This record gives sequence, structure tokens and C-alpha cells, in this order.
Amino acid sequence: MTVPTGSESPPSATLGGFRDARLYAREALSERSYGRALLAAALADERIVCLGADLSQPTESYLFRDRIPERYVNLGLQEANMIGVAAGMARCGDIAFAHSFCVFVTRRVYDQVAMQAAYPKLNVKLAGFIPGLTTSLGVSHQATDDIALMRALPNMVVIEPAGPEQVGAAVHAALGYDGPVYLRLQMASQDDPSIPLMPLELGKGMVLRQGADAAILACGMMVGEAMKAADRLAAQGVSVTVANMASLKPFDREMTADLARRHPVLITAENHSVIGGLGSAVAEVLALGGLSPRFAMVGVQDVWAQSGTTPFLMERYGLTAGHIEAQVLALRAA
Amino acid sequence: MRNAYSIADLERIALVLRRQVVRLVERVRIGYLQQGLGAADLFTALYFRELRLKEDDPAWPGRDRCILSTAHNTAIFYATLVERGLMPPALLEHYTEDGSPLEVNASERVGPLVEATCGSLGQGLSVAVGMAINARQRARDSRTYVILGDGELQEGQVWEAALSAGGLGLDNLCVILDRNRMQVEGHTDKIVSMDPVGEKFAAFGWNALDVDGNNMTAMVGALDAARDCKGKPTLIVANTVAGSGVPFLEGQLSHLYLLTPEEAARALAVLEETAR
Repeated sequence: MTVPTGSESPPSATLGGFRDARLYAREALSERSYGRALLAAALADERIVCLGADLSQPTESYLFRDRIPERYVNLGLQEANMIGVAAGMARCGDIAFAHSFCVFVTRRVYDQVAMQAAYPKLNVKLAGFIPGLTTSLGVSHQATDDIALMRALPNMVVIEPAGPEQVGAAVHAALGYDGPVYLRLQMASQDDPSIPLMPLELGKGMVLRQGADAAILACGMMVGEAMKAADRLAAQGVSVTVANMASLKPFDREMTADLARRHPVLITAENHSVIGGLGSAVAEVLALGGLSPRFAMVGVQDVWAQSGTTPFLMERYGLTAGHIEAQVLALRAA
Repeated sequence: MRNAYSIADLERIALVLRRQVVRLVERVRIGYLQQGLGAADLFTALYFRELRLKEDDPAWPGRDRCILSTAHNTAIFYATLVERGLMPPALLEHYTEDGSPLEVNASERVGPLVEATCGSLGQGLSVAVGMAINARQRARDSRTYVILGDGELQEGQVWEAALSAGGLGLDNLCVILDRNRMQVEGHTDKIVSMDPVGEKFAAFGWNALDVDGNNMTAMVGALDAARDCKGKPTLIVANTVAGSGVPFLEGQLSHLYLLTPEEAARALAVLEETAR
């Protein structure tokens, strides 16, 4: 463990005899983390304010807290109140970033988000962490319906970047939209700086790899799995297109339809329920467009998951490169 | 600048608003009559004396904010905005009609003076806390007010917001609790007992006041005291009587009152008489 130093997180002295360590068992944030992207944006735009619900470390908002405390509010464990407060601040001209885990800025506060952020189309940016099965804390913390919930709200934009290489662009895209945004984020602990930065444009998918036999549309951490699957399929002589659909709403219907026309097999891959997320978004395009490639959805298959490490859960619930590969091969043989 | 109406002026205005409430509810037959009559005095004190607003610029960024958290008490709310010159009177002609911006539950389709679209109960105070934090962070002297229903206190989010406002010492925030003891299923105490409300807020770090919400002098005095209080948000428990101002309606707990034309005529006659 590396202890954050310097400007990142100076531990305060004592409060009533208790030592306020403010440290969390994790490494310092990478250059391409959400926390650094938010701080950079806030230093450039004084309208940006930051709200926390007792999770400044895992939501990477402590950098903002320590550098710009006059625009930071920690509301404690009050997610419902936090959404309303963010909306009130946004109504007065602020751009309010509200932080917690994915489940707690979506499902727990759905009505507050709907009424106080989405209906009035306010600049409330919901920054959620630990998407899908990327937590060892179990079912209470697993967000497998958050994309479905947020996608159903008019005015709401939903973004899930593929990894640290796309987080900066995700924050930029969120700021470029005058209205509410749900950012579905992973903590940036496993950043590989050799991966080049990736842009993100709202409403646009991005083809990362061109093939002819099948197309995989993925989002978030599943983009990496899709690329691995494509490698493995290439070794078997199957050429695969991979598209990163980081903009889940607005959704790139044109690209999706085009991929469906040009490939006999179409697969979606998401760290989310297959109901209401990327798989559903693609299925809507196919059905409404009268398109009929052989189609399958890799994702959580309408079940509650147990707790465990992320690799264990991905294997158990079918979210690995191997599962994507198997689906492509099965549909090709169908 | 705040308006300088006298208490007698304000009482006259409250009578005008009560008559308008009766007319609006008569038009739709079933409506928020009892709540409107009960809250006429607190709406008058707020909109005609306390709030700094500009008739020619409703979206003025420096304005004081007032959130109607229950959202349904719209007969009195719309009547107040019109009488205050903040909304064209012609809009009242289409109160709650299909296509009208004056919906049963007030939404921001009305314009900037619906500071938040509430109606999903318990959310208004949180939005107000955000506005008060913004004013403090940006060093604006704008104040934020919330008209809260007493049944609404049963929503947990109100207490989250109360806890945060007290902890943050938001003295630019003031809640007026319309304590008419009425909710959909009847007397609030028969549903969930909530007294002592003031003590509960005081325990959360609020300056809690308890007044007769149908006494204009008391309401104005409480709003003055709220403005003068430093370091704490203020709760004004405005004890109001449902149907206030019309003796045969006073104390009748009815969430949606069915007002016959005969009753409307009687009520208007009583209010005309009082105005003389």
C-alpha cells in the first residue's frame, strides 16, 4: 500500500482524542483517474462543486476536498438528501458532482434523481463507483440494474468508460452536456499507462477492431474482455469487430444498425443485467430496424449474485472473455 | 428590498387570497380548499412582505427562494403569485385544465417561481439546503424558504435534510411548517404522532419557533426573528386551522374538499363581510 502524500491527503490532527487518519487501504490515484480528472476540471471551472456521502476515498473525491474545500460538501450517509442538495445547488448555477457507489446514486435514490435532477434537466452529475460485480461486498453493493434505471429517465445521459484511458474523456463529455449525467466508474487502481488515451463522444460508439464474422458491442470493463475474446477468436480464424459503446444514452443506433447489417453474428457484453442495459439497447435497435443477425447477450442473466472476488464472480456469472468467445462460436454454429 | 405592507394591509390581502381560493376550488369542484384557506396568512406574510422578488424579472438570480414542498396546495399558491403580480391573472382561468401550465401539483412548467418540482413528498427541504449552501459558498445574501406540510414530516428524507441543515448551521434557511394537522387519511396524530415537532428540530440544531399561523402579526414576527437568528436555520411551526376564515369550514379535515356552489356562495359572502 502506498500512502498518499503531499497535497493528496494530509491527515488532520485529532478530533476529541480520535485520530482522523483519512486513509484508505489503496494506492495513490493514477494520473488518469476520475479523481484527478474531476479536480482538473474544477480548477478550470469554478462552477463545479463536489458532494460526498462519506465515501471520499473510494469515490476519489478526496483530491477535490483537500484542494478546493470551499466547494466541497460531505453530507454523510444521506444519499437521498445529497441528490436534493445537488439539485438545489445546480438550480443556483453550480455544476454539482454527487458521489457514492453505483447502487446508492441510482437505485437507492431513484425518485430523487428522477424528480430533482432528470425532470428539471439540471447539471447534476452522478458519479457512481463499483459497477456490476466489481465488489467483494456482496449483493447490497452490486449494481446490476443501474444502467437500466438511469436509461429509463428522460434527459438523463449514461456513460460507462472502458477504463482509465477513457475516464478523462468521460468527465469532459459529462461537462459538455447541459443536464444530468450518470457516470458509471471503476476505481483506477489498475491503470496501465501504456494504453493510449481514448476519446468519448456522446451518442457515438467507437470501433476498436474490425472484423467480418461477428461483432461484439461492449461497455465498461467488458470492452477489455471483448478485445481478449477477439484475440482468441482470431487465433481460430474467426475475425471479430469490437465496438466500445461507452455512451449508453444517447446510444449510437446508426452504428449498431450498421454493425448488424455487416455481421452475421452480434454479441453484447456488459457488467450488468441483460435486462435494460446495453443488451436491451441493442435489441431495441435490431427489433425496430427489422434487423436479424444471430444475437446473444453476455451479462448477468436476471439473477442476484453472491459475494466474492471479481474474477470469481465474472467466471461464475458468465462475464469473461471465454464466455464471449463461446457465445460467438455457438452462434456461428447455429 | 422587502415590501413595507402594514399588518392591516397584509390581512386585507389574505382575505383577497381566500376569496380567490374559494373561486378556484369552486371552478374545479373538488380541490385543496381547506389547505388553501388555512395557509392564506402564511403565504401572504411570505410573498407580500418577506420574500425579495422582482415582478418584472421572476428569474432574478438574487431573489429569495421559496419552495412549496407539498406542491399540492396550489389554489392558494397560484392565487398568491397572481395577486403579487408575478403571474398573469388570465392563467387562473385555466387552473388545472388539460394543457394548462397550472397543474394540480405545481411543476416548473409555471415558470421560475416554482423553484423545484415537488409533490413526491419529503424532497423540498433537501433542495432548499442545496440552495442555502450555494448562497453561503458564493457569498450571496439570498435567503431560502420552504413551506413544508406536517404530514410530510413522516418522510425520512426530511430528517436527513434537517440534520444536515442544522449541522451546517444554515441561518439563511427557514422552514415554515404548515401545521394544519391534516393528511389524506385524517388527523396527523391518528396516523403518526409527531409532537413535539419544534423540540425535535431544536435537537437537530435548529432555532424552533411556534406561532399561530393564522395570526398575521405572529407570522410576520416569526419571519423577522428567523432573519435575525445567526448560526442556525429556523423552523416556524405555523399552527394553522384548515378552512381558516370561513367559520363553517374551519376545522373540517378534508384533503380534497367537495365544494358545492351553495357553499362557495356562502363562503364568499362570509369573506366579503369580513373584508368590510
